[in-house]
Amino acid sequence: MSEDKLNKNDYSPKLEITRRGFLSLIGLGFLGVIGSLVLQGFSAVRSIIPNVLYEPPKKFKVGPPSRFSEGATFLPERLFIINNNNEFHAISAICTHLGCTVNLAQYSPPKTYISRRTGKTVDETFEFHCPCHGSKYRENGNVYAGPAPLPLPWYELSLAPDGQIVVNTDKIVDHNFRLKL
Amino acid sequence: MIEKLRKLKKQLTWTYVPETEREASDAVVRNFVLHWFPSKVTSKSLSFLYTLELGTISILLFAILLITGVLLMFMYVPSVGQAYWGVKDIEYVVSFGPFIRGIHRIAASLMVAVVFLHMMRVFLTGAYKKGGKAIGSFRPLNWWIGLTLLLVTMLLSYTGYLLPWDQLAVWAVTIGMNIAKSAPFIGEKIAFLLRGGTIIDQNTLLRWYVAHVVLLPLFGVILIVWHMWRIRKDGGLGSVESLAEERIVKDKIVQKGKTYSLMGIVTGATPAIISHNVQGDTYFSSPQLTRRILIVFTISAVILLGIAFIYKAPLEAPASMIIPPNPAKAPWYFLWLQELVADTTIRIGSFTISGGFVGGILVPGVLILAAVLWPFLDKSGPEAIGVWFHKNRRLQNTVFILTVLVIIALIFVGSDMRGPYWKLYMPWQTWPKTPTKF
Repeated sequence: MSEDKLNKNDYSPKLEITRRGFLSLIGLGFLGVIGSLVLQGFSAVRSIIPNVLYEPPKKFKVGPPSRFSEGATFLPERLFIINNNNEFHAISAICTHLGCTVNLAQYSPPKTYISRRTGKTVDETFEFHCPCHGSKYRENGNVYAGPAPLPLPWYELSLAPDGQIVVNTDKIVDHNFRLKL
Repeated sequence: MIEKLRKLKKQLTWTYVPETEREASDAVVRNFVLHWFPSKVTSKSLSFLYTLELGTISILLFAILLITGVLLMFMYVPSVGQAYWGVKDIEYVVSFGPFIRGIHRIAASLMVAVVFLHMMRVFLTGAYKKGGKAIGSFRPLNWWIGLTLLLVTMLLSYTGYLLPWDQLAVWAVTIGMNIAKSAPFIGEKIAFLLRGGTIIDQNTLLRWYVAHVVLLPLFGVILIVWHMWRIRKDGGLGSVESLAEERIVKDKIVQKGKTYSLMGIVTGATPAIISHNVQGDTYFSSPQLTRRILIVFTISAVILLGIAFIYKAPLEAPASMIIPPNPAKAPWYFLWLQELVADTTIRIGSFTISGGFVGGILVPGVLILAAVLWPFLDKSGPEAIGVWFHKNRRLQNTVFILTVLVIIALIFVGSDMRGPYWKLYMPWQTWPKTPTKF
């Protein structure tokens, strides 16, 4: 009798929300909040990673070969153009340790040292010394003292149609590279 | 008329005079500023020799830095073309400009020192240890907040001396970005994000400016507030723990003291201030603690102004990516890191690990990790909380002091023994060109 009465209650069961339903709704809402926070966090970080850079080009003309006398010439783009009997190559002036600009140390008479790899005596007229933490590089950019972990990279050189030398600092070349004229 | 004026004066001035001790203690709880303090403190917490007042001085320096920093923001433009000349104007054209910049600079330098000394004090007194008696006490959390504050202080200094865009600034940012780059896997991405491009330029300056004037100070303020609140939640300074211990031994129970409702933001019990249980040998925060803080503030401010009158904030030549200064030196508090990155390149055969990674990321990382984990590695009992050089902590205190001495030695080598091309000279030798030490 009493059960019948209970069953005949006139509220609609369709409006009733079950415990399970309520919890899943809360869960969904929570996921929504977390999701929006993650999305906002991501967009905040992503927005400060630039999509367009207004930086000087990595490939640029540095002038006619006649501009570079025998030996190493420093350029403000932080590299050295080396003219060796009208054969050219370019060495980066950025220390491989922590990025300071290396100085050119010139020797006359030439400095003599014994190469560790070949055992031969080598004469060199210049070296590169880093003022920040004392790394020292040979004429060809190899490290022989200080904390620098890698040799100075060589950049690719080419000749533009107008006869100027073009440096591409995005392309690293090996020590056999020479631009012959 | 006179009655009206008297009423107005009453409205404009603080006329509150507590009549009983109970009223005085309630006043501390009710007052917005004094709410940072418990209503009563123990004599040990008040002792100058326990805290050396280093935390208080840090907060004063931070406040002074905020005020002078806002003043400097009126005269500084974060642009590669104008930054250096703006600072030059502050130095030579603006009335009291050199004085304001001098205070800002010397307060920053002092803050690094004082915050570091504060950390040393907390370590040497074992005030970071677990096992406090107050409800909700967990001192390691405040130690971690403090470590983060130390890092924020260092980062604020670093970003600060980048802003004049002089030689010191660009070469510091160059070295910093290359250290970031030497982190494995994500290094290049992080460096790109920090530079805002592939070269150090306008984007870089603007990024570090925003970090210096908005992000880091805001983060610092939030952490300081949290730091102060944690002290209350941990039951006061570490020095009250020994008193609480005695009390437990005597009375066998700890009663809940005054609690502060947090309205369900944290679980468990509300913070209870154990010092209330420690009867006798306690003083009302107002006026004993407030008066002491005023005295410390005044003396520190006078000393700071005195140094700022004598000391001139340095400004090097305008930034040039072509000619680095020789030697290029960081301010004193980073010289030990610079010395490390210059010495720690490891060569095994043809395999080389850069000093930038070892000295710039690995060694500082290990030091920070050790500091973070230390509350769990420290096996001395709760009796060592809040006691200077407790005998159970003799070994760890020795190791800690030795580490600090090594850092100081490295700073000395970096500042006084490194000449052009980072060559080593003995202190009595002179090197070809004297570099600036700061």
